[in-house]
Amino acid sequence: MTKAKKRGVASYFIAFFLLTAFVITSSMLLFLTYFAGSAGVEYTRENLFTAAVVTFGNAVFLSVICTVVDILRRKVMVGRPVRAIVEAARRITNGDFTARISPKAALGASEGFEEIIDCFNTMAAELSGVETLRADFIANVSHELKTPMAVMQNYGTLLQGPDLPDEQRLRYAKAITEQSRRLADLITNILKLNRLENQQIYPSAKRYNLGEQLAECLLRFESTWEAKDIDIETDLEEEVFIESDGELLSLVWNNLFSNALKFTDPGGAVSVTLKTEGAFARVRVSDTGCGISPEARGHIFEKFYQADPSHATQGNGLGLALVKRVMDIVGGQIAVDSEPGKGSAFTVKLRRAL
Amino acid sequence: MFKLLVLEDDKDLNRTVCAFLNGSGYQAVGCLNANDAYDALYGETFDLIVSDIMMPGIDGYEFAKTVRALNQDIPILFMTARDDLASKQRGYRLGIDDYMVKPIDLDELYLRIGALLRRAKIAASHKLEIGSLRLDMDQRTAVYDGEEIPLTAREFNLLYKLLSYPGKTFTRTQLMDEFWDADTDTAPRAVDVYMTKLRGKFENCDAFRIKTVHGLGYKAVIL
Repeated sequence: MTKAKKRGVASYFIAFFLLTAFVITSSMLLFLTYFAGSAGVEYTRENLFTAAVVTFGNAVFLSVICTVVDILRRKVMVGRPVRAIVEAARRITNGDFTARISPKAALGASEGFEEIIDCFNTMAAELSGVETLRADFIANVSHELKTPMAVMQNYGTLLQGPDLPDEQRLRYAKAITEQSRRLADLITNILKLNRLENQQIYPSAKRYNLGEQLAECLLRFESTWEAKDIDIETDLEEEVFIESDGELLSLVWNNLFSNALKFTDPGGAVSVTLKTEGAFARVRVSDTGCGISPEARGHIFEKFYQADPSHATQGNGLGLALVKRVMDIVGGQIAVDSEPGKGSAFTVKLRRAL
Repeated sequence: MFKLLVLEDDKDLNRTVCAFLNGSGYQAVGCLNANDAYDALYGETFDLIVSDIMMPGIDGYEFAKTVRALNQDIPILFMTARDDLASKQRGYRLGIDDYMVKPIDLDELYLRIGALLRRAKIAASHKLEIGSLRLDMDQRTAVYDGEEIPLTAREFNLLYKLLSYPGKTFTRTQLMDEFWDADTDTAPRAVDVYMTKLRGKFENCDAFRIKTVHGLGYKAVIL
């Protein structure tokens, strides 16, 4: 028995002894006062002493029994759930996020263990969710990084071959340029996302004209829509102001515009509207592209999710994850509705600065 | 031939950028640190500077500041890995002319250098010549085929701006901010009125056209 345990047992015993002694003394006093008064019994020094010793012994005996019973009860009712919790906590500490505690270990609702176990299991579930995401993220990043690297390496090797016709040499060199561009975009996006997720962001909110920002962002894609012969429709309400971080939000518009243009076939149309709705400004970016299936809709804001494998080479699956993250930071809402084959529309809602 | 100075501490990047520019009709001189660049600038005249920001010793900001103090006009283009707004702001406040984020697209670098040099020439001469149209900033005159076309000051400024950046679309608000008083109550649509007037006055001029871009803004297209 450890020192602490000994001290614990001793303090239980003293507590039980004081309690029993108090109870017995009070009952005896009451009993004797009334009994002696009516029966006229004489107290001698001798029989009083004997009675006192016997009563004291009785109190000690009852306290011992209570202490033993209580220790046993605690062993079962407290010790078992505590052991189960400690065991599970240890497994989680060692990286096993599958550890859960059976609710039966609480042995009923005693001592609030049920609540603790409930909380613990929720925490463990959250942790294992995060862990899966992290593992997936690393797997995805390494795949996305290594693929273009491998392609570049191969073309580099091919380029070293002797007597390569000019035409092939040019094709290989172009492929290397193309892949390195893809890699650069990917790294830029990973770094941006990392900055948004892992660092404390203090959005620098300023009041500015949202319509003007949309127009300027959209104009950066002028050469893209001209090359793809995509019709642009704009309906931007004038003098709509918001108070937000313009640099962060320009990430949102750039990603939404570039997606809309990317998924719209030549001859299609992309439309951008800005409307006020009470205290909110609503921006809608819609296209006549391939659309998003209902199953895919739940996943598009996840990192590295790409619904349409045929466009996979043109993107890295991080754009909308960035968009979502920015919306969380600036406190806006984003929604998507889409009809496969007909097109998609993203709607962003932001609070207006009045 | 235009002479360009490329200041970049990474040897490979410096060499490839210089090789590309030399192959594109420019004469590029590469420097690996700011002190070499100062020496080069002292020895000969350059038409444009391409500079990195993060370099050991004297960084790009300090370099740009020193150069600007001595030469107000030489175009400076920053070529850097830093893509945050704060870095860009700091650069533009020091008086740089353009900013590109690494990894840079060499073709785009070529286009931007061309535009910077053209604008530097316009800025230095205060004159613009497109086909048989001549604009003179000092006299505020527009002469087409030897015949002067009368323009108000604001019409002239708007036209000069659009023609200095052919193909680039300006939003109404951007034009308003530059050519109307800050405290004006005029709605951005007032720009439309001026564009209509300009189009009318240059109806017979086939050097350029003013195009409306999807209700977003205006650009001049050289024919």
